[in-house]
Amino acid sequence: MKLVALAALLATAYAPVQALWPQPRSIETGSSTLRLAPNFQITVNGHGVPGDFLSAVSRTKQYLFGDKLERLVVGRGAVDEPKFAKAKSLQRLTLSLEHGKSFASITSESQKAPEDRDEAYRLVVPADGSGATITANSTLGLFRGLATFTQLWYEHDNTIYTVSAPVTIQDAPAYPYRGFMLDTARNFFPVSDIKRTLDAMSWVKLNQFHWHVVDSQSFPLQIPGFTDLAEKGAYSSSQVYSLSDVRDIVSYAGERGIDVMVEIDTPGHTAIIAQAHPEYVACPQATPWATYANEPPAGQLRFANSTVTTYIANLFTAVTTLFPSTLFSTGGDELNTNCYAIDEPTQAALNATGRTLEQALDVFTQKTHKALEVKGKTPVVWEEMVLVHNVTLSPQTKVLVWISSDDVKAVAEKGFKIIHAASDYFYLDCGAGGWVGDNPNGNSWCDPFKTWQHSYSFDPTANLTAEESKLIYGGEHLLWTEQSGPQNLDPIVWPRAASSAELFWTGPGGNISTALPRLHDVAYRMRQRGVGAISLQPEWCALRPGACDLTA
Amino acid sequence: MRPLAMKLSRVLFVAGHLSGVLGLWPLPRSLETGSSALTLAPTFDVHVNIAHPPSDLEDAVSRTKSFLKNDKLGRLVVGRGATDSDAIKNAKSLRSLELSLFQGAAVKSITEEARLPIGTRNEGYTLHVPADGSSATLTANSTLGLLRGLTTFEQFWYEYAGQIYTLEAPVSITDSPAYPYRGFMLDTSRNYFPVSDIKRTLDAMSWVKMSQFHWHVVDSQSFPLEVQGYTEVASKGAYSSDMVYSPSDVQEIVSYAGARGIDVMVEIDTPGHTAIISASHPEHIACAEASPWTTFANEPPAGQLRLASAATTNFTAGLLASVARMFPSTVMSTGGDELNTECYAQDPQTQADLKATGRTLEQALNVFTQTTHAAIRAEGKTPAVWEEMVLDHNVTLGNDTIVLVWISSANAAAVAAKNFRIVHGPSDYFYLDCGAGEWIGDDVANSWCDPFKTWQKSYTFDPLANISESQAHLVLGGEQLLWTEQSGPENLDPIVWPRAASSAETFWTGPGGNLSTALPRLHDFAFRMRQRGVKAIQLQPMWCALRPGKCNLNS
Repeated sequence: MKLVALAALLATAYAPVQALWPQPRSIETGSSTLRLAPNFQITVNGHGVPGDFLSAVSRTKQYLFGDKLERLVVGRGAVDEPKFAKAKSLQRLTLSLEHGKSFASITSESQKAPEDRDEAYRLVVPADGSGATITANSTLGLFRGLATFTQLWYEHDNTIYTVSAPVTIQDAPAYPYRGFMLDTARNFFPVSDIKRTLDAMSWVKLNQFHWHVVDSQSFPLQIPGFTDLAEKGAYSSSQVYSLSDVRDIVSYAGERGIDVMVEIDTPGHTAIIAQAHPEYVACPQATPWATYANEPPAGQLRFANSTVTTYIANLFTAVTTLFPSTLFSTGGDELNTNCYAIDEPTQAALNATGRTLEQALDVFTQKTHKALEVKGKTPVVWEEMVLVHNVTLSPQTKVLVWISSDDVKAVAEKGFKIIHAASDYFYLDCGAGGWVGDNPNGNSWCDPFKTWQHSYSFDPTANLTAEESKLIYGGEHLLWTEQSGPQNLDPIVWPRAASSAELFWTGPGGNISTALPRLHDVAYRMRQRGVGAISLQPEWCALRPGACDLTA
Repeated sequence: MRPLAMKLSRVLFVAGHLSGVLGLWPLPRSLETGSSALTLAPTFDVHVNIAHPPSDLEDAVSRTKSFLKNDKLGRLVVGRGATDSDAIKNAKSLRSLELSLFQGAAVKSITEEARLPIGTRNEGYTLHVPADGSSATLTANSTLGLLRGLTTFEQFWYEYAGQIYTLEAPVSITDSPAYPYRGFMLDTSRNYFPVSDIKRTLDAMSWVKMSQFHWHVVDSQSFPLEVQGYTEVASKGAYSSDMVYSPSDVQEIVSYAGARGIDVMVEIDTPGHTAIISASHPEHIACAEASPWTTFANEPPAGQLRLASAATTNFTAGLLASVARMFPSTVMSTGGDELNTECYAQDPQTQADLKATGRTLEQALNVFTQTTHAAIRAEGKTPAVWEEMVLDHNVTLGNDTIVLVWISSANAAAVAAKNFRIVHGPSDYFYLDCGAGEWIGDDVANSWCDPFKTWQKSYTFDPLANISESQAHLVLGGEQLLWTEQSGPENLDPIVWPRAASSAETFWTGPGGNLSTALPRLHDFAFRMRQRGVKAIQLQPMWCALRPGKCNLNS
């Protein structure tokens, strides 16, 4: 008896009968096999169904019939063949909004402030072949339910089936901000790479694309009224995001339940602006770079100069017209003071105004943030703006904690909302060695590599009081691209970035052992859909849940 | 002209590099270049002045012409090729490259030359590209040397506005490798790689003049090799029926490699790393999938050949001989790493076999090794083994056995002291998988061989460290290795390239290269690889790639 119980327990713990990612907050599953009927239909109840929702429905059907994922067990799908004959067939999935709710596009729902988005849904798949249903308060919620629904199905010999019917799911995210950040300045990524990334993000219900679009190395963003920045600062004329590219990316994201938060990092990380406006940049390409910047090239905005402040405020205003999001990041990390100490125009401006550098930074920050606020944007900054500098920020400002997860507490104590982006948990570039030249023993500054297991074990409210815990907005994995480009985008990001997607959707405390088979499943499914997610283990392990655990 | 072969020239060489002009990889051992622009004439052609040239040479020439036309690599300077438009306006045009063998050289195929025993291959060549538009010449003692010279020739050229040009004419090169074994190892057992991935890898290897593909084809996790007479091992041990290398796949890979100057050394790792054989032959495997795996193996699943069993020894000898017949190389690896003794201590059959024969485990291992090595020698193969077979075990090996050092670079000297030939594959310099975190589940540890081995780290490897002058001849070369617990087709290119090019230069040009001057050339090569469809990663922001030296530690 004892043995049987243990075996049953292990089976539940390890057999990936259902391989959903992120794991729904409430789920009940059975053990019946259910096939998808060849004429399976998805019906949307109601009138005025938005176009982007209908597109999402047809993508869902493509995944259902196109994934062709064999279940990850020894023997693969053939193991399930005997159950096919007796299995009922599901003919229909019906999507409806809760009573009294009316249709709005996924795009408009997903571009609301994160806390105002309604992503909850309820999914029921009976085992007897009667219709499945998804209900939600919004098209965004229905869309999240569709993402879950596609993950239920495997394929073998032209049969599409699940082995865990009936299924009842009641789901909603633990945190409103679940993101991924991509740096497109160190190396450029074509629009197609960004779109593929947005697709993959939507499959794990990520809802925020943090686009670190420009930096000191290149300025690949075309901005109305400021086109000289990209003309002179992009790596080449073909490595620029045009207005129509941006529109394309923003709407592609929106249709997939993802809001795009652009970042124009200021006043540091702006060396490349010197190409078009040398008069605005202090210490451009100054050497040794290590004195003036954290990485080459050096160069920062002369923020003490009121012309520069006005220029950046206007630049921000222009950028706001490109991005419908309520969030806009103004950066604010890694400001180097040596750069300003040797910059005569900065010193002259400080003298003339009688301000300290910190006071000047406060003026710059307030003016540039004001420009955003009048356009209805909420500023987002890196942690130094709160912890290192003495600047006045609107209490609405969200703060990205990146240097260390240890800094979260200090930001919380100042009462700001927090987006977790800690390098010690979520930096995808760590562990690939030093990229600076002539440095044979240089390791990655944030060594070691952050495995999915490490990220997954992150606690969003560690050391926080109950009151402070309410300040946690969510979090994101980040890819800085000094050593990345289109060639390794997928393998460096996926499936690792899915680990924070579950953390911030399902909530922390997930079990690494039971998560791994589900993560294998999502990685295999991503590959079926054309995303180059890596193999986390030998396939031998992927087919034998638990067998490659440390203590197995 | 800048004489680069001499010590003094090193300074000039630095100047040349920092302007980012010269993009050769590996650097030729003797090189003189000028500073004239030269374009490729639209009618440019390669002439093979050899009676009855072998078809693989003709194919190599076609590939070269295709690369010259299609690479379309913009020179890596700020402003890219536009910067050169004035220089190339009045440049002379090169109409032909003339290939010939030195008088008296026998005409054999590249494939035949590439499969000669290690140390007897002739890869030298001389290449002259005059600045005045008169014909360029490439001469060698073998078609293999001509292939190496073509590879160098391809790397001179950039493209801008339809013009293909170099800024380095005239060029005069006399070149040959410092070491004969310049390899790359791929593990196709932990995860499977389709034939197309292996072929693309072979292409990339040939571009940096690598000579040896070390194919770690099977291991404990899967057995994707269909072996005549032993087909059940793959049919039960491959991940699936479509993840098997058939004899015709092997033939295709071996000939694809040969035509590109690469010999294929297959490895059937024994007696450890063989758990999956139990799927078809449970009688031959001790401690199959025993748990806890940490007691019985370095990674899951546990399972090793019952080396003390005569039946298992015969089975293995037969299997190895059959595999040997699939591969034309003169070398074959029998593995021999990470033997776990606890596995045998707890295996009743092994204990019974030892008792019956009155042998210790080490004595049984010796019999096993001698028998299996004799089997592959009978097929004309020289055995290669991992270092433990020499350093940890007391087995009798033929004097010509090649030893792969992997655990630590510090162990090479001990192998040399035993007078065996060495291939460097140390984990502390050449393991491409290190630094990606632990892959074992329910474990938040780091990679066992942390940290990541950067190209810079690999590039500083000294093949003769702690090896005496009298032992230096034992060093055949080395290889970078990809174990694939966390790799598959999705990250093959980015995890291997351009890093693996770093040892390709160390073992062709010789050690002691300068990291600062190497980096712009390596950028150049990585950009060229991408133009050719291999997904080499960006080593730095493109800002740095266009500004040689600006992103060095002390710039």
